[in-house]
Amino acid sequence: MKNRFPSWTLGLIGILLLILVPVLYYLPRAPKANDPAAYLPTKVVHVDHKDIVQGEFKTGQDVTRACLECHEDAATELMKTTHWTWESKAFDVPWRDDNVTIGKINQINNFCIGSQGNENKCMSCHAGYGWEEGKEAALASEENVDCLACHADTGMYGKGTFGNPADGVDLLAAAQSVRAPTRENCGKCHFDGGGGNGVKHGDLDESLYFPDQSLDIHMGGELNMQCTDCHVSTDHQILGRMLADNYTIDPNEQVSCEQCHVNQKHEDERINTHLSAVACQTCHIPAIALEDPTKTTWDWSQAGQDGREDDHFTYLKIKGEFTYEQNFKPTYLWFNGNNEYRYILGDPLGKSGITYINKPAGSIKDLSAKIFPFKIHVAKQPYDVKNNYLLQPITSGEGGFWTTFDWNSAFELAAPVTGLEYSGEYGFTETHMYWPTTHMVQSADKALQCNSCHSATGEPSIMDWEALGYSGDPIEWGGR
Amino acid sequence: MKRHTLFLLVGLTALALAIGFGTALASPETAPAHQASVLHPNFALLDKNGDNVLESNNSVSTMQTCGQCHDTKFIESHAFHADLGLSDFAASTETWDASTGTFGQWNPLTYRFLSQSGDERLDLSTAEWLMLNGERIVGGGPATTSRDGTLLTDLKTSKENPETSILDENGSAGTWDWDKSGTMEMNCFLCHLESPNTAARAKAIQSGEFGNANTATLLGLDIVNDGNEGWVWNTAAFTETGELNSEMIGIQDPTNANCAACHGEVHPETKEPLTLNACDLDYPQTATTGQVVSGQRINQSGVNLSGKNDISRSWDIHAERQLQCTDCHFALNNPAHVSEAQSNNPDHLIYDPRSLEIGEYLERPDHNFARGQSAQFNVAPEYKGTMRRCENCHDASKGHADWLPYIETHMDAVACETCHIPQMYAPAIQSYDWTVITTEGTAVETCRGVEGNPNAVTSLVTGYEPVLLNRTNIDGDSLLAPYNLITSFYWVYDDANGNKRPVRLMDLEAAFLENGKYAKDIVAAFDANSDGKLSTKELVIDSPAKEGVVKAKLEALGLNSPRIEGMVQPYSINHNVTRGENAVNDCKVCHNADSRITQSIKLADNAPVMPVFDVDNNVQGSGELVTGEDGALYYQPAPAKDGMYVFGSSRVSWIDWLGALAFAGSLLGVIGHGTLRFLSSKKQTHGAVRTERIYMYDAYRRFWHWLQTASIVILLFTGLIIHRPDIFGAFSFRGVVTLHNVIAAILVINALLSVFYHVATERMQEYIPRPYGFFDDAMVQAKYYISGIFKGEGHPFEKRPNNRMNPIQKITYFGILNVLLPLQMLTGALMWGVQKWPALANALGGLPFLAPFHSLVAWLFGTFIIVHVYMTTTGATPLEATRAMITGYEEVEVHNGKDEEGS
Repeated sequence: MKNRFPSWTLGLIGILLLILVPVLYYLPRAPKANDPAAYLPTKVVHVDHKDIVQGEFKTGQDVTRACLECHEDAATELMKTTHWTWESKAFDVPWRDDNVTIGKINQINNFCIGSQGNENKCMSCHAGYGWEEGKEAALASEENVDCLACHADTGMYGKGTFGNPADGVDLLAAAQSVRAPTRENCGKCHFDGGGGNGVKHGDLDESLYFPDQSLDIHMGGELNMQCTDCHVSTDHQILGRMLADNYTIDPNEQVSCEQCHVNQKHEDERINTHLSAVACQTCHIPAIALEDPTKTTWDWSQAGQDGREDDHFTYLKIKGEFTYEQNFKPTYLWFNGNNEYRYILGDPLGKSGITYINKPAGSIKDLSAKIFPFKIHVAKQPYDVKNNYLLQPITSGEGGFWTTFDWNSAFELAAPVTGLEYSGEYGFTETHMYWPTTHMVQSADKALQCNSCHSATGEPSIMDWEALGYSGDPIEWGGR
Repeated sequence: MKRHTLFLLVGLTALALAIGFGTALASPETAPAHQASVLHPNFALLDKNGDNVLESNNSVSTMQTCGQCHDTKFIESHAFHADLGLSDFAASTETWDASTGTFGQWNPLTYRFLSQSGDERLDLSTAEWLMLNGERIVGGGPATTSRDGTLLTDLKTSKENPETSILDENGSAGTWDWDKSGTMEMNCFLCHLESPNTAARAKAIQSGEFGNANTATLLGLDIVNDGNEGWVWNTAAFTETGELNSEMIGIQDPTNANCAACHGEVHPETKEPLTLNACDLDYPQTATTGQVVSGQRINQSGVNLSGKNDISRSWDIHAERQLQCTDCHFALNNPAHVSEAQSNNPDHLIYDPRSLEIGEYLERPDHNFARGQSAQFNVAPEYKGTMRRCENCHDASKGHADWLPYIETHMDAVACETCHIPQMYAPAIQSYDWTVITTEGTAVETCRGVEGNPNAVTSLVTGYEPVLLNRTNIDGDSLLAPYNLITSFYWVYDDANGNKRPVRLMDLEAAFLENGKYAKDIVAAFDANSDGKLSTKELVIDSPAKEGVVKAKLEALGLNSPRIEGMVQPYSINHNVTRGENAVNDCKVCHNADSRITQSIKLADNAPVMPVFDVDNNVQGSGELVTGEDGALYYQPAPAKDGMYVFGSSRVSWIDWLGALAFAGSLLGVIGHGTLRFLSSKKQTHGAVRTERIYMYDAYRRFWHWLQTASIVILLFTGLIIHRPDIFGAFSFRGVVTLHNVIAAILVINALLSVFYHVATERMQEYIPRPYGFFDDAMVQAKYYISGIFKGEGHPFEKRPNNRMNPIQKITYFGILNVLLPLQMLTGALMWGVQKWPALANALGGLPFLAPFHSLVAWLFGTFIIVHVYMTTTGATPLEATRAMITGYEEVEVHNGKDEEGS
């Protein structure tokens, strides 16, 4: 007889609803904290390979064969990546009739200039073995994939000539130490690119092996982020593209702050009004090379002088004159993520007297562009006076400039390798190369302040507003 | 035509400057040359006779030189920086202040008194006043003109006249020759030069060479040198036609650094860490309040500040955002700020294009600058409030929309500065005690916000929280705003004319010192530890004996009835603003027992007399001066006296006591009554009282009852939290206020619907006590509760659906539902409505009346609930009535006989 739910329960529910619904609707809620750390990839604990990897390894290829027994697809995956090919996809560039590819494999920069013919040295940063066999052979074989470069404990492994393991490396110990890549693995090549610590990137150098939070907010301190936390990978394809080795870059292939800082705005609305024109890096990386200096100029024309004392930071007979700068203040340009120009082997020199190895694309009129910090590396490097193009010498190895100190023979040797004719007359010309700075990120309280860029109080601005296309400081003249 | 072109050029210059093109750094070395205007034309430097200084080798005359193009007479006569109170100088017997400005208004910090004509003792003559203060005075006004308007140089020299005399080292008056010293014209260079030589200028002024001061300002610019025999003008700086190359001089719009030269610490650089000159009257704004104008992050400054590493805010957000002093304190007729001048337009007119042409402006720029409403600087009071204030640029209703409830209410009560300048990070003067003096002839000074000597690098700067005082603006609005309070004590005497005057420093020195050391009798009186020396700690008048010794010595000097007076002066704090995240943004900072609003501030370690609060300003010193447990004097704000009621902080104690008494009394009564019933019920044999089951409460009735129950209980509880947030720290104040408001809305709607129901169903009459026989019936019912109920008697009146209430219930519910509830809803709605209809709420007493009234009624509701719940237990069985209100059916007593007719 008794109702399971007497009528008054309905009333009770009604009353509760009448109270709870409006209260929940109106109650102030703290805005959801959008914690960027929540977007960090979760990584599975790497299986300890100490007891798994067995056997005697005489060569790097032996190790790779062992790896491939279990990780069957690893080599084929890796061979599709630029870490292997050292070459971009084909680009249709307006100043060339044919499509071109860009990479260390076939183009030049204004540091050590080019890898072609210099494989014995340059390939110590290639993820492959066996370059003594030549390019085609080296790149064809799965067994040449160097798993250890990225996966071994860097204390156990190192690379020697032609991409092969350095003499004396205990390959078994190295193979047993494999794990997910750490900053050390990446740093071996990327911190020392260009032939030494901090040469190429001012924002990536050996100081980041053990960084303090004040050096980089992500890699230092509690977060202790690894490269692969932002440069996430699928099937060995690692996110992020090098500007200098591409012409245009698909934003989907690029790392961005917004990967983790999703919908995260500054509390200060005034700062947010900057976001359409200023990249995060501009304010949050006020300077690079904070601890170790970075190379900013390189004059090859001074190389080969006898009797001049070698000094790592100022002069080396084999390389010429340099300057290194610490706490280096970047140059600011509009940048939409692409290059406006990338020097392709055989291109004529720049008419203005400066040849750009690459030049970032973007202008004040380009709404996808933001003001972005760059390190500009200025070099004097050789060119063919008659043919009016940059030359790539053979430097390392037999007959190379580093042994003969004879430029002519270095260029003659290179001609068949690069396919560029050498007229027999060389000179040196100024080249500029642009390096976007995206590491050594600083916390808000160390970021740029208003008067870093806006100079109403008289302090010189770090921005050249007129060069950027403004009529003057936009705080007074208006922005875009 | 030529003149026209010149104006055009100058106009363009100023336009460029006005939009901030030309601004420069403070220090001459680092100032980049391109910062100064390149558009200002070359011009001849003229002496006071209008001759080119290259020919005359005289001092430069700014009035003549700048007057070639600009109307310097107009500028000087429209400049309170020049006037300084001279134009309204009038000696009075009522007060010793003769004007509203520095020239005539006595300042207890700088102490020396500008003597008035006929004073018994000469203290500061005009000349000595100028020597003392001239470094921070622009010139013109009292530096050239006498109190009656004639030129100082035209005055007949007499040592009786404080305008033409001076005290010599022995303290006797001599004459001052203005023709010899020259006078000091308004110094255009001081504010319009990129790097004026303020040090050389100060030196000239302090040595009484007033006529040389303006030329000295140009020293070091390769324009002029100080030769053995007068000025040597550097011809290389001049063109062939004798005009000064304007690039040499760097004419510019005044920068923050120019203003800083007189007003206080300004630090435009970001790289060089800021260091402070604290509690130093050469930096008056910083000394009196701790305000520092700098965009530098505090943790990057060089101040030894407690907890500095975590303070990443800038000293001042406006400096950080590149604002200049002149952006808010602009020249009043500057056409760039014409919108401010047009405030008296017809309503429909949004913009009036008629304004000064830039050329007209440059000829006659008004040098009365837009100014705020500070408490201490009273010169030119007619310009108070002309300045661009927070609300002229910021829309608070938008800026706070995402978090602050009751925005208008807050803005009507609290100045922006109160929350946005929550803390000062530099020391500020706390007290000046001139009742004693140091051997250097200074007061015993104390400084707040620092441990130890304010300017020693080893001292820890702690900063301080300003005290909040009620400021009445020009428009009549009264707002809480942050202040520093400076307390000064000093001796005064009555002079021969019967005028009160501060005892001269010279006389104080004569009383305290002998040959630069403390006099023996002074040492004897003050030397507490008998070491024969007087430390700063011992230098204090804290006993009648000490006071008597000094008083006797002053009397011995011929001073008539010397006595100690004290004054507490408010110094307003308007700079050092910070953004929202560093501002006060937690409700409980103010809405709490330890409210920021009632936070006291220390005035002085020792008070020889009880000082008076300086009332000659726009601040209400409505608080109390109290002596703390440490013996020090404190100012304790009393916002209630200014008609403020702050939830969570303000409360009227007698209402809470009365309410609590009623609540506790009824609780006790109920417990007593219940205990008696329980005991008596045990004694009685439970006669079978006949009951029957009746459908007593229909569904709607039950529904609205329980909804109201829930609402009222929640309202009482949340109301209690709002009233005493200090007890319920776990709750978010803002959340509880919202909850209270939402539930109140539910209660009101529920009440209105139920009124509609009762009226529509004519059941209203159940609640209306019938006058006929009511009193008798009520007595019967009361008697039942007093005795019958203990004897196991039946209820005197039957409870029936159409007559559910006994007479006492009727009168109670009539009261509750028709008086208390509507009152509570009305006061509550008005309190909520101060936001939207402040006039209505204020007409009905405002928060100070409504809020305590609301609390009182809340207490009565609480009391009612106690009694009501208890009464429900008096039914057929203790829980019967409750059950009835849930299920609708109640077992009620059935009476036989005479009472039956009601059913």
